[in-house]
Amino acid sequence: MSKTTQAPKALRGVGNFIDDRFHLAKTGEKNLRKVFPNHWSFMLGEIALYSFIILLVTGVFLTLWFKPSMLEVVYDGSYERLQGVPMSEAYASTLFIDFDVRGGFLVRQIHHWAALIFLAAIVVHMLRVFFTGAFRKPREINWLIGIAIFALSIIEGLFGYSLPDDLPSGMGVRILQGVILALPLVGTYVSMFLFGGEFPGEDIITRLYMLHVLAIPAVLLALIVAHFMILWHQKHTQYPGIGRTEKTVVGTPMFPAFAVKAGGFFFFTFAVIAGLSAFVQINPIHLFGPFTPTSITSGLQPDWYMGFLEGSLRIFPNTFDFSVFGYAVPIAVLVPGLGVMGMLFVLPGAWPFVEQWITGDKRVHNVADRPRNAPVRTGLGVAGMTAYGVLWLAGSNDILSETFSIDLYLTTYIFRVLVFVGPVVAFIVTKRICLGLQRRDRDTLEHGYESGTIRQLPSGEFIEVHKRNSEETTEVLESKPLIGSTALADDADVDDKGVENPESRKGMGKLRRALAHWYTKDNVSIDGVEAHSGHHLHHSAPEGEKESAH
Amino acid sequence: MKWITARRRHPLAGYVVVILALALFGVGYAALAPTADQAQAQTLAADVPSPDDVDIAEGKTVFDQTCASCHNYDGSGSYDAEGNVTNGPDLRDVGPAAIDFQVSTGRMPSMDPSSQMPRKPMAMSEQDLANLIAYYNAEIRNGESGAEVPYEVPDSEPNRADFEDETAYEAAVEEWESEYDSYIEGAEDTDMGMKLYLTNCAHCHSWSGGGGALTDGRWAPEIHDASPREIYEAMVSGPGAMPMFSDGAITPEEKHELISYVKTLQAEPNAGGVFDLQRIGQVAEGFIGWVVGLALIVACAIWITAKQRAHD
Repeated sequence: MSKTTQAPKALRGVGNFIDDRFHLAKTGEKNLRKVFPNHWSFMLGEIALYSFIILLVTGVFLTLWFKPSMLEVVYDGSYERLQGVPMSEAYASTLFIDFDVRGGFLVRQIHHWAALIFLAAIVVHMLRVFFTGAFRKPREINWLIGIAIFALSIIEGLFGYSLPDDLPSGMGVRILQGVILALPLVGTYVSMFLFGGEFPGEDIITRLYMLHVLAIPAVLLALIVAHFMILWHQKHTQYPGIGRTEKTVVGTPMFPAFAVKAGGFFFFTFAVIAGLSAFVQINPIHLFGPFTPTSITSGLQPDWYMGFLEGSLRIFPNTFDFSVFGYAVPIAVLVPGLGVMGMLFVLPGAWPFVEQWITGDKRVHNVADRPRNAPVRTGLGVAGMTAYGVLWLAGSNDILSETFSIDLYLTTYIFRVLVFVGPVVAFIVTKRICLGLQRRDRDTLEHGYESGTIRQLPSGEFIEVHKRNSEETTEVLESKPLIGSTALADDADVDDKGVENPESRKGMGKLRRALAHWYTKDNVSIDGVEAHSGHHLHHSAPEGEKESAH
Repeated sequence: MKWITARRRHPLAGYVVVILALALFGVGYAALAPTADQAQAQTLAADVPSPDDVDIAEGKTVFDQTCASCHNYDGSGSYDAEGNVTNGPDLRDVGPAAIDFQVSTGRMPSMDPSSQMPRKPMAMSEQDLANLIAYYNAEIRNGESGAEVPYEVPDSEPNRADFEDETAYEAAVEEWESEYDSYIEGAEDTDMGMKLYLTNCAHCHSWSGGGGALTDGRWAPEIHDASPREIYEAMVSGPGAMPMFSDGAITPEEKHELISYVKTLQAEPNAGGVFDLQRIGQVAEGFIGWVVGLALIVACAIWITAKQRAHD
């Protein structure tokens, strides 16, 4: 139909004008017809993208009035309670945004809530990619870019949190300085360089401001664009289903259906963030008061995405600290402050390559895994989530202690144990659940699904009638990949001439074989299982033959 | 039952059961949970008996009945052979401010000497307390030791139950309000009050006065229910794990600024929205960000990508 309908003459003129110069029609048509697979979990990254756009827009608004200066002024703005109080210009100008700029308070709260949602969306998006194996070839580079975005966003958030120079800001910067000071040899120099002298000095807000509004967002934006272009080029992964192969994407075309959905989704994201900002008070800097180096308060935490670091600092024992020639080496700050932070980025960053090394799988994967079909990976993911979660909870141990009336020291000991035991238990439990689900899948594939209908056979026996799965379900269940490893192949140890491969005798070769065994040993095979070949199906036939029941 | 049987395999049935179970536990808990920790300040500003009204003999009766079992009849406390407190400490040097603080906040008489007492409604009448303090001053106190009750600092709002009729109560409330307001507004220097509070108090009671966890299972209580006089008394007597801030360390004028700062902050409306998350801060914000913010957006994603489910 669209081929026979001509565009209005006026549009055609403009269209031809542009097309003659930029040749957009062909590219445009190709890209507008690009197909996106349909699944809610593929929208998680978009939440992050939309929050980022909201952050950029509101951030620009805030810079119009914010003064990144630590010059001391005496406040005489319209917030009466703090009139006559000496404070930095940064804090005073934030109060100005809150109380003297029309809509300023709302926009500041939108900026803050959007930051929390932005990082939360990044995390759930990363988890989705991890658990579905969407980081596998050809997407390893995009996975690394994603981790870089995650890391930079955390730092971006921390710096933004520090800018208003209110009480929690200053405390956060103080902890940052503490972690910097813990660096062996260079710590004091880096600290003096960053702060332009002793803490807090007069430069830090100005410097953090430059990083927060210029340097880091520019890099973030570049990385996000790269992330998106690579996604566009490589196409989105999809879950198994009818017609979905490594070469064919099934989904909605970019224009109009997907564009409308995505556009609507932007407005929904904006609505939720704006709704939260309108009704739920966040980071009330006017109540906290300005930061002074003597001020300190309990009951304050960093924003949630720094909580795991706070937690690891809180529960790490200081018994490992030592001194070298009178210079302290504070392990209790170094390991939790930098080590744990490093683990959060290095472990997920290395995993695609480790997995590839273990399995020897160099194939291109465009169909995502169902998490249950990669039980070891899923178990490791949940173990990581558990470790992160325990540290995160530990970061709020004083609030937990007060809210639930638990001894504060007891929570520390509980978390110290949980941070090691929790991931192990989580791994075992998750892997068992995955294998259980695999078994159920095999059952469903073989017998059809339980219909809930109980039938009595002429012999008096009761059976539950199983019904045929839909084509889609059968397709999904049959798509279960076989997890194997080239390290375990029969000819892995010898080459085609029958000569033993020296690599496999060395330590790394042995390690690889051991890991491959561990990675692949527990799997429910669907080899030889034919769809709907099981006994129960016969009962759904009206005759219901007794001898096939079991 | 047939109605349920027909629907128990509905796709939403599981969610309905979970919601019903949660509702049952929630409502059940709300019905059964004790509400006693709703501490109500019950002392009377307008009804403070003047020193002429007190009856020292009555005070002795109160002391012997409610205090002496732990603190001994002469207030010398109960100690074991090594000198550790067994039930109650020596009261002879603590001063009347400590007595007034502990009794008016309901912490004394204590049910369990071995654990930290929460704030409770006062166990005796205002008159009994006045008699008790008079008896303490006359018979138990070591000379002039300890701090005096700061009578010039306003106490808690009058309690309706202590007045015979509405008019007397309203008059008392009005008098209390003007006394309270003039005290709070009498402090001028927010900066001084804020610095004193954030330097000396906030690391236990938190920036908002909401309290916080301490070591060894103790906690710093919320100070929102405390009257200015009780805050003053806590500073000069140092109850429990709290250090003592004598009038030499923090002058009465500074205490005035400090108390005014806390009370003004407490009364400050939440400009950022109707839900203040109890001023818990980042932990509550992160929690809401995940379970409300992100959850709603993800629910929307599920909604807009949902397709008609082929029954399988």
